[in-house]
Formats: sequence, C-alpha cells, structure tokens
Amino acid sequence: MNSRCNGLTKLQAIVVVIVLVIGVAVGGIFAITLLQPTTPTAKVEEIRVGLVEPLTGTYAVFGNEAKMAAELIVEQINAQGGIKSLGGAKIKLIVEDSKSTADGARLAAEKLVSVDRVNVIVGAFISAHTLTMLDVTEPNKVIVMADALVDYLTARGFKYIVRLPPKASVHGATAVDFVVGLMKQKGEKITRPVLVHFDGLFGEVTGDGVYQRLRDLGIKLVDRIKYPTDITDMAPIIERIKAAEPDVVFVVPYFADSVLFAKAVKTLGLKVKFIAAAGGTGLADPDSIKAAGDAVELMTNTYSYDPFLPTEYNKKLVEDFRKRYGKLPTEAAGIIFYTLWTLKEGLELSGQKYPQDPLNGDNLMACFMELDLKSGPAAETYPTGRIKLLPNGDNMYAGAVVLQVQGGKPVLVYPFEKAQASAIYPRP
Amino acid sequence: MRFWQLASFGGFLLLLPLILGLNDYYIFLTTLILLYTVIVMAWYFIGGLAGQLDLGAGAYHGLGAVVTGYLMIYYNVSGWIGLVLGGLAAMGVAFIVGFPSFRFGLKEVWYALASLGLVLILQKIFLLWTDVAGPLERYIPFREFDPLYMRARAKWFYYYITLGLLLITFYLAHRAKRGKLGLYLVSIRDEEEAAEMLGIDTRRYKLVALLTYSFITAVTGGIYASMVGFYHPILFDGWIGIQTATIAIVGGLGHFWGPPLTSVILLSIAEYLRINLGGTIPGLHQVIFGAILITAILFKPAGIGPYLESLIEKVRKR
Repeated sequence: MNSRCNGLTKLQAIVVVIVLVIGVAVGGIFAITLLQPTTPTAKVEEIRVGLVEPLTGTYAVFGNEAKMAAELIVEQINAQGGIKSLGGAKIKLIVEDSKSTADGARLAAEKLVSVDRVNVIVGAFISAHTLTMLDVTEPNKVIVMADALVDYLTARGFKYIVRLPPKASVHGATAVDFVVGLMKQKGEKITRPVLVHFDGLFGEVTGDGVYQRLRDLGIKLVDRIKYPTDITDMAPIIERIKAAEPDVVFVVPYFADSVLFAKAVKTLGLKVKFIAAAGGTGLADPDSIKAAGDAVELMTNTYSYDPFLPTEYNKKLVEDFRKRYGKLPTEAAGIIFYTLWTLKEGLELSGQKYPQDPLNGDNLMACFMELDLKSGPAAETYPTGRIKLLPNGDNMYAGAVVLQVQGGKPVLVYPFEKAQASAIYPRP
Repeated sequence: MRFWQLASFGGFLLLLPLILGLNDYYIFLTTLILLYTVIVMAWYFIGGLAGQLDLGAGAYHGLGAVVTGYLMIYYNVSGWIGLVLGGLAAMGVAFIVGFPSFRFGLKEVWYALASLGLVLILQKIFLLWTDVAGPLERYIPFREFDPLYMRARAKWFYYYITLGLLLITFYLAHRAKRGKLGLYLVSIRDEEEAAEMLGIDTRRYKLVALLTYSFITAVTGGIYASMVGFYHPILFDGWIGIQTATIAIVGGLGHFWGPPLTSVILLSIAEYLRINLGGTIPGLHQVIFGAILITAILFKPAGIGPYLESLIEKVRKR
C-alpha cells in the first residue's frame, strides 16, 4: 500500500512540476505581451479587425458570404496602400466562428478582445448574438460595427456601436411601401394582408415593422402567424394562411425556413396576389434560388444592399466578387462592403485628427460620428449613396431596396425610380 | 510528501488565473472546460457507478440556467440562491422522470433515449413558455463586480465558483465510491437482478444517483448562464449529454480518475482546434475532434482509464 502511494506521488510530483513550469513560462510570456502595446505613441503597424460570423450551423450561409466579402475588401484596402494617414498601416482581419449561437459569438468576442486585442469587431449578423458581444466590447472600448439589423441594438445606450444597414423595422416598412406602391400602379389596394414570421428576435422586430407601417396606412392584418426558426414542416402554416384568405402575404424568413416556405407554397398551391418578404434573408438571393428552384419565382425580399447599384466601383466590385466566388453578392456581403469601407474612412480621419492615439475607441468613434460620406467606395455601395451617423450609431440615410426573382434571377424592382425592370404583379 | 504534493496541486489550481495572465478569454475557456468536467464527474453517479446510460445532462443544465437566470433578471434574486433553487427544480424533474423509469424497469438504450428525449421536451416547453423563456434571449443585468448577486465582468470570479463546485463534486463522488452507496450502485450496474435478490432497493439507489447528478448538473447551468450573461431554451442542448457520456466512456466507464482527466484533455484539444481552425476552414475542427474520438475508441475500447492506471503501475515498478 505504502509503495503504491509512493509511486503515485513521484509521478504526480513530476507532472505538477512540469505543469507549473509550463504555466509560469506561459504566464511570463503573457505578462510581456500585455505590457507591450500600452505605449500609445507607438507607430501603428497594423489595425486588427475581428470578424465574428456564423460560419457553421443554422446561419452558415450568411456568415460565409460575409467572410468572403470581408476578405475581398480587406485585400483591396491593403492593396491600395492601407490606411494612408497611419503611414500605410495594413488591416489584419481575424475571423472567428460564432457557431450560429449566442454563446459562441460571445466566446469569439472574448477571444478577439483579450487575446487578439482587436481595435474593431465587425459582426455578428444575428442581432441577439451581437448583443452578447457588446457585454464584452463596451467596457473595453472596442467598437462593434454591426451587420445585424434589430432596432434596439442601437437603442440601448451602447457607446461603441456603429450600424450602417437599415434597421429591421425599416425593412418591414419598405416591404409594405413597395407592395402598396406596386398595387397602386394597378389601381388596387391591400385589403387582407397576412403576416408570417419566424419567432426569433429578428423575425419579431421586422414583423413589427410590417405591422406598424400597415397600421399607419390604416390597413388591418387578417392574421399574424409565428413559427419556430427550426421548423421542419410548413404545411400547417400554409393551411393557416389559406384559412385567412389573404390577398397579400408578408413573410419574414431566415434561410432554411424560407426554402421550406417557398416549396410548400408551390406544392400546396397557395393562391394569393403577391408574396413579399422583409429582412434580406431568404427567398430572393442566389443561395435561396439555388436551394428552392422555381418555387421562389416572383417572390420578393428587402435588402440592405443593392448589387445592381450602377456606380463605377460597385459594378467592378460585383464583377470581382462574381469572378472569385461565382455568385452575386447580396445581403450578408453587401453590408460588409460598405461597413469595411466606412471603417477605412474612419481610420483615415482618426490618423489625421489623433495621430497620437488613432486607434483609441473614443477617438475612432468620434471620427465615425464626423464622417459624412457622399462619394468613395462606401457611398458607392450604399443603397441611398450616403452615410452619416446619428448619435446612437445608426445611419441617418439608411434605406433598403427590393429584389424580385424573375426568370430564376434576382432583379431590382424598388425603389421604382431606380428599378432595372418593373415588378411582375400579380402572381399567376 | 503527500501534503507537499497536494499543496502544490491545489496551489496550481488556485493560481491558474494568474498563470493565465488574468486573460479573460483563457480563464473563460478554462472555466468552460472545468464546468463540463463537473458534469462528467456528476455523471459518475448515474453512469459510472449505477451504469445507466443517461444522455439528459442538457435538460438539467438548461433548467439550472433558466431558473437561475429568470430569478436574477425578474426578481433580482442572488445567483447563489438561484443555483440552489435551480438544482432543486432539476431534482424535481429528475424525480418525475426517474421514478416511473426505474419503477417500470426502463434500461439500457431505452433509458438513454428517454433521457435524451427529456432534453428536447424541456426545450420545446421553454420555447413555448414565453413568460419565462420563449424564443428570445433574456439578458441578465450587467454588474461590474457583485459577488453577492453572483455576477462579475472578470472571469476569474466564475473560475473560482466552478473550481469550488468541482471540488465538492469530487468529494461527493469519492465518498460515494468508498461508501455503501457506491457498493450498492456498482452491484446494480454489474448485475441488477442479483443485487435485488440480495435485498438492495435498486430503484431507490438509482434514484439517489440520478437526483445527485441532476442537482450538480443544474448548478453548472446556473453558473454558465451568469457567466455568459443570458439564457435561452437553446441551452437545453442534447449535445451536452452526448459529450458527457462519450467522454466518460472514452475515459473508462466506472473509473474514477479516467473520465475527468479525459474531459480536461479532450476538451482542451477541442477548444484548441476550434480557435486555430474554426475561422479558416469552418467545421474542420469538429472533423478532427471526431477522428481523435474514433481513434481513442478503436485502440482503447475499454477507455483511457485502465491505460492511465497501467502507466502509473509501470512507473511504480521501476
């Protein structure tokens, strides 16, 4: 018994000593790295930008598109000589996977802030996930440039947040304005609208946007139907829509559910005058068209980015994106386009105004607030062509566009004055 | 000698946050790994000793998270009280499910499926029960450092809570193993009918094991919710139970040191892979982790536990 104990102690003692030595060594390295970047006057060599996106899991389709876009834009910025006012400092992109979960996004933010010591985080596409990151970034004065749409991200008094794309409620309202305008052209009015949306935060808020705009126009919803995000059978939802006898269906889907929805509409033969989605995810983007086939024909969705914007830079960018990744950039990529270019402008300004400490959260934020972009790549990729921040971090000139699937391709149909083709109405 | 050894190991655990440079992210990861190790250790009662292939850890973990989070947000109740109440709620659910299961002799894969089903059922209930949870995340109010409320920005706070829980779990498991309870449970595991013939109240002791396991697992859920600052029905995650059982089996079913050591090693590897590969080739880290698991099971079908013991034996003989 005694000898057995001794054997154990020897081995354990060795293990403990080894672990302690490694631990102290690692701790020492950390202490050194911690001490280094505290001198603010040091020359900026690179700007570390974190990107948190859902690269695996339910929302992977969007996260991967965003990642593609970010890599492309960072490459372009660096190829043009980086941030000139910071002596040509390059942007270093550090990509993290949120695993499509809120705690995954939080963990990613935690790493980016305390290990990679990033200056800015872009992400996390899903609003609820973005909110968990703000818990980490706010106390550390790290600026989050959100590519998530839910209204209250910018309404909770966070100081270090920038959100350029139109809010979720704007998306909802845009879908209503579009359908109302479209029907007006034919001398018709919405009489029996039905709203269908998934039950997550984004679905609720975008749905509220639809509901409120309809209410303001004096139109009453016949039914408001919610379904779980991970729904596997849309048939009961379609039956309930049928029972409401609507003329127009407004829908706020995500990706997989949008495919199910479109296919169920087709197979169960739902006959309505028009189906308009809001929120920029699902139905009218290339990935959805690929997944759902002709079931999404003539359906529309609202987007935070217009891939057909006829500006010089945008045309070239879309071409580059197509060449490299073989598809049209839409929601997820588009938001990243103008967000990263705005970041570049902000950094340039900060380098001029605060050469002593350009990457400090307060200084950089002040510069973002000062920007008023009417030209350059950021403005040239933004739907309304102008970016100027409100004190809460939202864009004053936010606006969404509507794409319709025509002949298996997304086509810009709203705003009417910019449309490539007139929207096809009603559904056959 | 023994004292010195214990003291140095204890000192290492106590100083770990400092060794990690007080870096929030690494402490967060370490705490997560410890938290899952606590569940693996709690599983020792129901799986290792009593031999029931329970996959329902996610149910109790989620329940602890929801109860603790809900009380913190809406009643401003300290997380410490939430942990206990969450644990009791989990025990209640475990009793409701465990009593009939054991009464009607639900065993082996059928018990495993039933326990996994419990996770899904609870997730659906809380998704629909919008007064308490629902599909939207609920955020626990931010506090810079409030130990009484059990919420802090600095992650070392949660590290020490988890460390404490781990020690308590180890102590309880060790006592159970050495005591009558362990003997009863092992006899149930090895030959339930024979145990019953010998006059052991098999149902009662299986229930005791289940209740202990559910309570501890729920406490981990409460700590987790406070640490990440929100709760959501997604925390009723079937994967937790599968991960726990897998680690315990790879670590050596019924062994005392194998499973927790395996848990620390495997989860560290998993996190390391995720950090280094997760952003470049999405999903690759999961593939590699799966391959490591398969290799371990192929070459050490009885688990790593016996291997560790034989290794110790070899060193001793020298």
